[in-house]
Amino acid sequence: MSARRSRLDRWVERGARGLARQMGRRSFLARVGRVLVGTAGAAALPLLPVARVRAASPADGEGPLHDPQRCEYWRHCAIDGFACACCGGSASACPPGTEMSPVTWVGTCRNPADGKHYLISYNDCCGKGFCGRCECNRNEGERPDYHWVRANDINWCAGAHVQSYHCSVAIVLGEATEPQPER
Amino acid sequence: MRRKLPAALLLALLAPSASPAAAGTAVPVEEDYVLHCSACHGLDGAGTPGVTPSLVGVGALLQAPGGRAYLGRVPGVAQAPLSDARLARLLNWVLARYSGTLPVPAYSAAEIGALRSHPLRDTRSARAALAAPGDADESREDASR
Repeated sequence: MSARRSRLDRWVERGARGLARQMGRRSFLARVGRVLVGTAGAAALPLLPVARVRAASPADGEGPLHDPQRCEYWRHCAIDGFACACCGGSASACPPGTEMSPVTWVGTCRNPADGKHYLISYNDCCGKGFCGRCECNRNEGERPDYHWVRANDINWCAGAHVQSYHCSVAIVLGEATEPQPER
Repeated sequence: MRRKLPAALLLALLAPSASPAAAGTAVPVEEDYVLHCSACHGLDGAGTPGVTPSLVGVGALLQAPGGRAYLGRVPGVAQAPLSDARLARLLNWVLARYSGTLPVPAYSAAEIGALRSHPLRDTRSARAALAAPGDADESREDASR
């Protein structure tokens, strides 16, 4: 039977046996996984929705532009509300007892420490009354309500279980290739 | 005819037209999705039940008469602050990524330009009028909002 195997069969068998000798199943699966979802293969097979949005690790700096409890904080360039870092939370986490809205407003801000633009998500934290501290209304890149696609005068807590607005976070989603469009 | 294929294969097929150069921009299509779609539909495209619609399976609308035009005229698409070429690239990518569906032919910049110049004024009625197979549940959900 083996004598009747085609050249292709023999070639595939030889390759498979060689592969099996050189690496275990786990390392093989790990390599395949890296090709499919990892950095090397992401450009060819972008399985994850934001796989090609570059991972972000914004540079740190000092002063008001890098203080999450200040309106001047670079991530707050388009914020419209109370900064959660002043309300018992942080720039990326809601205060205890509140729920992050699943619906949000996404814009870009420039980090002066590295000169790069980043995608920022301004999720509202919901379930308590107004925080009342660090009210910031910078709204860069925002548009009036009649241009609703880029308006942010909306209570995003409409998507939460309790609609009362408490404060807003400014989460870095990734590095942006360009500032948000001004059209 | 709409074809159901693995999303990875579809995205690989789309790669030439989804490349930044093809749309005249250096911005990856995924970045356009994050900035212009994800705020409502989520990074996973699942939306928020009862608040914002899911994009998963939205490609079924391509089978309904008028569905192709609907997808280019729905306000979130038509009014996105993107060029026609980038918007066409984004819509094709969304359909491949979240529905495993390649529109045939793919949306072109010219087609998107024509469709978005007539954005829907009554989205809910237009959506209810589309009787996409297997999509009845979503239609009822939309109509109840």
